[in-house]
Amino acid sequence: MSGRALAERGLLAVFVVFLLTVPWSVPLLLNPFWVSVIAEILIWSLFAASANLLFGYVGLLSFGQALFFGFGMYGVGIGIDHFGLSFWPAFGLGIVAAMAMAFVSGILAVRLTWHYFAIITVVFSLIFYFIAVSAKSVTGGDDGINFALPPTFSFGTVQYSFADANFQYFFILAAVAICFLLMHLVVNSPLGKAFLAVRENDVRASLIGLNVYVIRLIAFVMAGFLAGVAGALFAFFGRYASASYMFYTFSGEAVVWAIVGGAGTLFGPVVGASLFIVIREVVSTHWEHHSLIVGVMAILVVILAPKGIVGLWRDWVDTPADSAEIPAAPELRTEP
Amino acid sequence: MLELRDVHVHIGKLHILQGVTFDIKPGESAALLGRNGVGKTTTLRAIMGLAARSGGKISFDGTDLSSVAPHKIPRLGIGYVPQGRGIFPNLSVLENLNIGTQGKRDTEREDYVFDCFPRLKERLKQSGNTLSGGEQQMLAIARCLMMRPKLIILDEPTEGIMPLLVSQIRREIHRINQSGVSILLVEQNVETALKLCPRVFLMEKGVVVYSGTSGELKTNTEIVHRYLGLSRKPAA
Repeated sequence: MSGRALAERGLLAVFVVFLLTVPWSVPLLLNPFWVSVIAEILIWSLFAASANLLFGYVGLLSFGQALFFGFGMYGVGIGIDHFGLSFWPAFGLGIVAAMAMAFVSGILAVRLTWHYFAIITVVFSLIFYFIAVSAKSVTGGDDGINFALPPTFSFGTVQYSFADANFQYFFILAAVAICFLLMHLVVNSPLGKAFLAVRENDVRASLIGLNVYVIRLIAFVMAGFLAGVAGALFAFFGRYASASYMFYTFSGEAVVWAIVGGAGTLFGPVVGASLFIVIREVVSTHWEHHSLIVGVMAILVVILAPKGIVGLWRDWVDTPADSAEIPAAPELRTEP
Repeated sequence: MLELRDVHVHIGKLHILQGVTFDIKPGESAALLGRNGVGKTTTLRAIMGLAARSGGKISFDGTDLSSVAPHKIPRLGIGYVPQGRGIFPNLSVLENLNIGTQGKRDTEREDYVFDCFPRLKERLKQSGNTLSGGEQQMLAIARCLMMRPKLIILDEPTEGIMPLLVSQIRREIHRINQSGVSILLVEQNVETALKLCPRVFLMEKGVVVYSGTSGELKTNTEIVHRYLGLSRKPAA
């Protein structure tokens, strides 16, 4: 085995050991502030993964993921505050609300592609943002809904809830890990390959018998599920639901995180969200214009590493040491 | 098997197909020839439901294709190998082969296509974009074969491919036809078309102007000159 192959295997082993140990040891290693920041990063990673599922795997640039994130939040907020639901039914309501909204809007949206699709997702996001802001009796308007946390588990007098920062962190970690595992299973299944076929050439995909519309709709609802889980988790994390998270620019952030981390890769959104949120947390205490750093980094990555940070690393691993770079850009033609 | 009756296609204000009529019989191998821009590819796109018809009828095994969605047409038994390969470059060879079979691996069929194109078996895990042009064309034909088609439509399968692989692809197309699969071939390379297809249709300005055997066409230099622009008799 060559030195390079050994190095690659070593890196992979380190990565696997890292995934299996470090996230679960965070409360032991870091202070509560950083535990909370990492919990937030996990939620945003899941939100970015929903944008990535559409853009990176199916080729649909959505600026509407904030809508489903908002439905996840409001499902939890309204469920607890208005209907008096306990933790799990409220969590379920948030996820179902997000998926139902994704299904209804997807029926119309996935008939379109490229900029038309991006625009209609912005329009959906704006419509429901203004509805949420104006329907104060239900959504709390600009102030949103604040609610008291119900316990997640109750065993007699022993209760576990998000009030315990470590429990909150581990619950979010487990939920996000399950979602990423599901996504891993899907993208490596025949359905995942059909996603890639549709991304690379939808006309060609239909010529081999794939129903492009149904495949896009499935992806759209699955992305709604991921955004809905992220929104529901964030509602529990922040103990509130707010219309401000439904604005389309918020979806744009998820798209940027996914692209910088590596669109079309499983862990790209985690890398992108981690990078930008850590920069925000570190720089914002010293300089209020930290967004400029984010913007410059996004431009540099798009120009120098169009496949994102994870894509760059993967290319390095995949490229034989003695060969030239293998061209791998997907074709964006619409002809068969 | 496949019947086109007075098929018209408009693209914008342009009347591209102006009443195309021909048919392919079961097990037959036929070529659709003509100069650039006469409507050959549009005819194929109309068959596959990709170009909206403004008139006429296309039927396959008695089914009127006007009421069939494009993604259902391959499931009726029509395989289409488009111009310019038509593979999925970022999927592996094996993934490309199985993408049309709804994820179910058909190992018996895989063995058949590897028998036709042994080079693909050596490159199973390679991405489509790392294959040579000829190998990509083999993959496109093989992927089509995986769906067990009754008719394969090939749009310029030997275009831009090195001569060594052209003869192999030509040989395999002939072998596929011998196994009972009908072939409709669109080719700029008249020699290849006449070698592979006993029946020939010539198109000019959106209509089929000549229908006959390849043997007849070889001897009819006037037709060849008028509709294909060739000044000499094509090689036998």
